[in-house]
Amino acid sequence: MNAAQLDLDRQLASDAKSLAERLRRVVVEIHSPRGAGTGIVWGNTGLIVTNAHCAPRDVSLRIETDSKSWSAECVAYARDYDLALLAGPSLSAPALELRDAASLRIGELVFAHGHPMGIRDSLAMGAVHGVARHPRSGETRFVVADIRLAPGNSGGPLVDAEGRLVGVNSMVVNGLGVAIPALVVQRFVDRAGASRAA
Amino acid sequence: MASKKTNNALAELSSQLSDAVKSAAAYTVAIHARRRIPSSGIVWRDGVIVSASHTVRRDGVVRVALPDGESVNATVVGRDAATDLVVLRADELKTPRAPLAEAGAGDVGSLVLAVGRPGRNVSSSFGIVSAVVGGWRTVQGTRVDQLLRLDLAIYDGFSGGPLVAASGGVLGINNSALARGTATALPAPVVDGVIDELLSHGHIRRPFVGVAVHPVALGAAVVNRHHLTSETALLVVSVVEGAPADAAGILIGDVLTQVGGNDVARPIDLLDAFSGVPDGESVSVTLLRGGVPQTVSVAPRDREASGAIE
Repeated sequence: MNAAQLDLDRQLASDAKSLAERLRRVVVEIHSPRGAGTGIVWGNTGLIVTNAHCAPRDVSLRIETDSKSWSAECVAYARDYDLALLAGPSLSAPALELRDAASLRIGELVFAHGHPMGIRDSLAMGAVHGVARHPRSGETRFVVADIRLAPGNSGGPLVDAEGRLVGVNSMVVNGLGVAIPALVVQRFVDRAGASRAA
Repeated sequence: MASKKTNNALAELSSQLSDAVKSAAAYTVAIHARRRIPSSGIVWRDGVIVSASHTVRRDGVVRVALPDGESVNATVVGRDAATDLVVLRADELKTPRAPLAEAGAGDVGSLVLAVGRPGRNVSSSFGIVSAVVGGWRTVQGTRVDQLLRLDLAIYDGFSGGPLVAASGGVLGINNSALARGTATALPAPVVDGVIDELLSHGHIRRPFVGVAVHPVALGAAVVNRHHLTSETALLVVSVVEGAPADAAGILIGDVLTQVGGNDVARPIDLLDAFSGVPDGESVSVTLLRGGVPQTVSVAPRDREASGAIE
């Protein structure tokens, strides 16, 4: 192995590390009596995005970070998209840039951050496998990734190599990771915010 | 498409990987020859498509969907059960053939992508070459020069599709059925050899001599007396009437010690020894008959042409 390759190796490792560091500031752990998942702090809106299945109705929810723990309240649900919005007034994080799933290229690298099996702040790497579209509207319904996810990754961010949010990891189908596209999530947050303000 | 230059090595690698998939998409086709989902195939040469034989469930003319959305008819030219390859021909095919990856791009530890077209669009999975296995033997006992074991997922419809180097170019054909469901790829040189045979003969020629053998221990006395180099040899337990062995005068009870100067200790050694014999030529077989060494000359035939069913 020559010096240039060693450099590349170090460069890749350091890029992945800084990606993990950036994502660590954006995610929280969501606890319910039915299990744990990951949540994404949505900029400085005081809101946390997660999967609906991580935040069941009528049970007590807790949000945890490395240092703190709060009880949480669910403010909006979108069952069709398996999304939920929690209030976390004291939390804020740098907002993730969003990546339109329509611009994704098959084979490009994606990273999942979360707490699989309760292991805090794990980063997994994989590649874009495909994008599933709605048969009639053509709207991007799911981002499908060749990436290893486990229970606890649910609700966590799937990002591209530059740290832009591609989607919210939601389920595993035939070993493939399935995420709700970032723009769908943004629309859900916008609508929930509008109806809360009204 | 050139990789986008950024100061982020991860982004650059990512862009390179998606470029590799994009270029593979140009020669990866979908073959409609089974129920449920189509299987993947590769335009390997001009007008020649290869795929995994187990995924192409029909013979004769099958429909192949091309990367540009068009589809053409292709004819199954031949299959090789040992390497699970099928070769199809589509004469009007204009799709450019797959460029080979550069040497060394498939070494152990190399980043690779499996690309498939299990429908209209291509999809991919990502991993590394975990081992390069040499002299690998299939369940049928045929030797395959090389096989790549992969640490990646071969999803439904991926068998028959290309294994692509991170730097672009095809390394081989993915197959999840060659080695007990694990992810493997048959490397390009092996694929080329099989295609040559299938295009010129319609099948893979394998030697047939018409004997059944069983390994036997010879004992030190016999080994020393005849200056043998192996303590195990092969006892002939049956001879097919009219077969090359019969024609050479081999009898039941003969003990085969060498073929072409090489020891034969296991039945599989016979296959290897006769495989190297060119068409129509013969090879010397050394045997013990009643404890006396003898040499006969055997001209193996093409198994398929012999109509042998073994």
